[in-house]
Amino acid sequence: MIYFLGRFLHTQFEPFSFLRLVEYISARSIGAALTAILLTLFLTPIFIRYLHRRGFVDQWRNTGIASSYDKAGTPAMGGVIIVGCILFSCLLWCNLVNGYLVSVLSGMVFFGIIGMIDDVAKARRKSGDHGLSEAKKLLLQAAFAAAFMLYLASAFSPLPPNQAGTFYIPFLKAPLFDSIWLYLPIVFFFVIAVGNSVNITDGLDGLAIVPSVFVIGVLGVFGYALGRIDYARYLNYSYLPGAGELTVFSAAFIGAGIGFLWFNAYPAQVIMGDTGSLAIGGSMAVLSVVLKQEALFLILGGVFVAEAASSQIQDKIGIRWLGRRIFLRAPLHHAMQHKGLAETKVVIRVWIASGILALIALATLKLR
Amino acid sequence: MVHLPMRDIKRVLLTGGGTAGHVNPALAIGSIFAGAGTRYLFVGVRGGVEEDVVPREGIPIRFVRASRYPGGHSPEMIKFLANLLAGSTRSVFILLRFRPDIIVGTGGYASAPIMIAAAFLKKFRLLRARIYMHEQNAVPGKLNRLMGRFVHQVFVTFDETLSHFPGKGMPAGYPLRKQISRKPRDEAARKLDFDIPLGRKIILVFGGSQGSRVINRALVDALGHLLPYRDSLFLIHGVGLYCKKEYDALRDTEERLRGSYSEAQLKDIESFYIYRPYFYDIDNLYAVSDLVVARAGAGSLNEISAMGLPALIIPKSNLPGNHQVLNARSMEAAGAVDILYEQITAKNRALSETVSGEKLAEKLLSLVHDRERLEKMGALSRSFFNKDALIRIEKYLRGEPEARTGGDRVSMKSDGDFALADNHALLMRLEREAEKRRHEYRPEKVIARPQDLEYLKYRAAALLLHPSWRHRNLGVKLLGLLGAKENIPEMLALYSERKPVPWYKRLLGGDFEQVGFIRRNILTSLVRLDEISPGIEEALAAGITDPYYEVRAQAAHAVAHFGSRLASAQNLVDGIKKLLKDTNIDVTVAAAEALGKIGGETDALPALLGMWDTRLWKVRSAVLRGILNLVKRGVIENPETIEDGVEKFILTSTDFRPHFEIKAVYRHLMELIETKKEKRIVR
Repeated sequence: MIYFLGRFLHTQFEPFSFLRLVEYISARSIGAALTAILLTLFLTPIFIRYLHRRGFVDQWRNTGIASSYDKAGTPAMGGVIIVGCILFSCLLWCNLVNGYLVSVLSGMVFFGIIGMIDDVAKARRKSGDHGLSEAKKLLLQAAFAAAFMLYLASAFSPLPPNQAGTFYIPFLKAPLFDSIWLYLPIVFFFVIAVGNSVNITDGLDGLAIVPSVFVIGVLGVFGYALGRIDYARYLNYSYLPGAGELTVFSAAFIGAGIGFLWFNAYPAQVIMGDTGSLAIGGSMAVLSVVLKQEALFLILGGVFVAEAASSQIQDKIGIRWLGRRIFLRAPLHHAMQHKGLAETKVVIRVWIASGILALIALATLKLR
Repeated sequence: MVHLPMRDIKRVLLTGGGTAGHVNPALAIGSIFAGAGTRYLFVGVRGGVEEDVVPREGIPIRFVRASRYPGGHSPEMIKFLANLLAGSTRSVFILLRFRPDIIVGTGGYASAPIMIAAAFLKKFRLLRARIYMHEQNAVPGKLNRLMGRFVHQVFVTFDETLSHFPGKGMPAGYPLRKQISRKPRDEAARKLDFDIPLGRKIILVFGGSQGSRVINRALVDALGHLLPYRDSLFLIHGVGLYCKKEYDALRDTEERLRGSYSEAQLKDIESFYIYRPYFYDIDNLYAVSDLVVARAGAGSLNEISAMGLPALIIPKSNLPGNHQVLNARSMEAAGAVDILYEQITAKNRALSETVSGEKLAEKLLSLVHDRERLEKMGALSRSFFNKDALIRIEKYLRGEPEARTGGDRVSMKSDGDFALADNHALLMRLEREAEKRRHEYRPEKVIARPQDLEYLKYRAAALLLHPSWRHRNLGVKLLGLLGAKENIPEMLALYSERKPVPWYKRLLGGDFEQVGFIRRNILTSLVRLDEISPGIEEALAAGITDPYYEVRAQAAHAVAHFGSRLASAQNLVDGIKKLLKDTNIDVTVAAAEALGKIGGETDALPALLGMWDTRLWKVRSAVLRGILNLVKRGVIENPETIEDGVEKFILTSTDFRPHFEIKAVYRHLMELIETKKEKRIVR
């Protein structure tokens, strides 16, 4: 709204010419980040008290790890705050008719709602194992992925038509292939897989939020570069007009994420729950797709990829099919705990790893 | 509902087959319509008992193609559907030509083609017959459930079955042929084609119309043990009609007889044992018998009960819904029969269901020589039976409404105990109890009735033969928790079976058909059973070098558990010392603890002290526990000499246990409130 108001004022009235500032993505980004962080810091304590009163707290779930016992009773659904603050901040600072932004926000909200249904069901039934069934969750996510796939193939897609079917891999200038029939199925599976990966990672205090901030921050930089014709040409990327708006979203996300970490740091006063983890997963997935960085995500979001892959391999291939464990424990943070690392140490090591991966991913911007 | 006047029913089509359990009720219900001018037709499959039995009753028979419902997605399914299509097509012509007034199906795959064809013809008003079905088992199969939709009424044997046929079911009981009724002993004896010596106890043994390999073989083995009592016993054995490549009942029995006994012994055996492939006059045999040994099919049990005979029942395991076992147990609970469960035994490292001849003989002798008990069982058996199934069906067909009520039916209900809970639920419950009671855990405390425990052990052992590894794994876990020490040889046989899995599984980390979890859980169960034998020690030695880490770790745990009780403890020390260098933390931890239990000053101590700079504190901690045990056991002569070595172990650790003070206070407060509450209740 500030964006629209400022634009209206500075174009119509001479005295407001200083409001040209809103035309600068950098200025709006800072505004968005500050809004989101202040809002989370202010609202979360109120929200935590509300969750306690309503009984929306984490339910005990037997994972065989000592520390998870004492987490029962921590309010879940902190994701509502993250999503809410990002949305509010974007409402203030973003160009809301931008196609990139709309797809990312709808991905976040849709996945967030799936997670919320799950969280509410778990709290109602007082059990950590009886939320929304896995099949129903997947079905809803697949519905979104299919709709998103069609949207990208349609005339309403924010991407330039010549980019509709291209698939890029890091360190290579030319696209690996350019075929919408090959590309769209990849998008479909990518959205579902990445959408769930944060959920799997989110098992320890602060474990998921910091890598998410790194990932979305780097994607924000990509958005900024690809959304400027001069940078895109210099870096040899295809120019994506309007992608700069994603930088503002990314800034809002970083703000909300850090604000959330304030309360989520060990020992957590609130955890994001499925609401938060799925919303973050959903927005990360859509963000990577619209910026054409699906393959880069394997590096950038390496932490999420490793956590999700280890958990799936362990369960589906190892325990159910081969009749043995393949990893010591899965997802990987449980394996680290099993080896005797304290929770805080595991979390900080994962942060460091994701930071390194984010730097490597950032380097691919130029190195190709 | 409009009912045909009975006198107008002139053409009766009966269908159902495969085993006598399906054919006999069809014939029994058919007999309701007997009269001048009634024409019958029986439709069955080739190779079933109907081929033999039905013509003897003077009823013409026609055959259609049909095969058993295979379930799941398998190539068998195509064959099944093709057969069903061919059989149904042929059935259409049979129906159009015979034009029945009434169709009675007694389930089984053999009746499916006629039922489907009839439903089809009814739809196009090409057939006016009324269609009825009788369900013998407590749990109907898929085909019967499907056919239940097309028929006018389903007569069920067990009340519990009604829910499978909503709005269509009617509790009736099991209709027996009219010839199955009590008759004087001498009269029956005169009608037999062999002589029965006077003053002997007569035992009738049969495994259903097809015969049972387990019963046949067990009986032949039992004969040797019964030889000394040949003057007081007489055994009549119905071998069964089964005659396929994998098992030919008659030939196998004869070969086993000749193989097990010498000429002289066979002569003696002949004096108290007679066998026949099949008895067409089973009622006469029932009449002369003092005790019956049989399977637990609904047909056999109802016949036995109708005749008021005591019986020893050997239920067949691993059937859908375990229905034979459930049938048998409900009669056992009523005191009418005794049960002998099949055993899962390992022979040449291959598992199979068997009943030991010795056990059978023992059980038979104890029953036969207890006249009082036999009489009591006989009386209870008689009262267990629902006598008027046929009358009720007849009344219903005549349109008499009271058929729905009355009667002194005793339903074969499950005894509601958790003993009958499915294996998964049982495992959860036992695991919970074991965790709660720890060292005080005894299966007998959880499962009060010894018969139940025996049954559950048998059921768990039967799982070891299951084709799916998940079920075998479940069986292994249950055997441990149920304290089934008698099944240790079978578990060891499973453990040492090293059949590799297909290459694509090996590529992903699979090893043997008896997967890692099974091998690990066998070792866990052995620890729980707490017994030592050379076979077990061999298994532990093999476990230490197992390719799967959890098995190695569990083997080390087991060694630590048995400790010095192991005769080969000294030989295991070297193997365990190697495990200290294992790359897996679980294995090294378990190995360090095991060394503390079996090691000595010269072999184990230096290896343990050498671990001081291991990176993972959990390993170092385990090593210290190991050394602690060495000191406690007193194997270290001068403990003060290791002080310097032990000191080195305290490097910085990467873990701590958080202390939530508020939660500690909270727990303390709650405990206090709890004790106050209890005190008030006591007062």
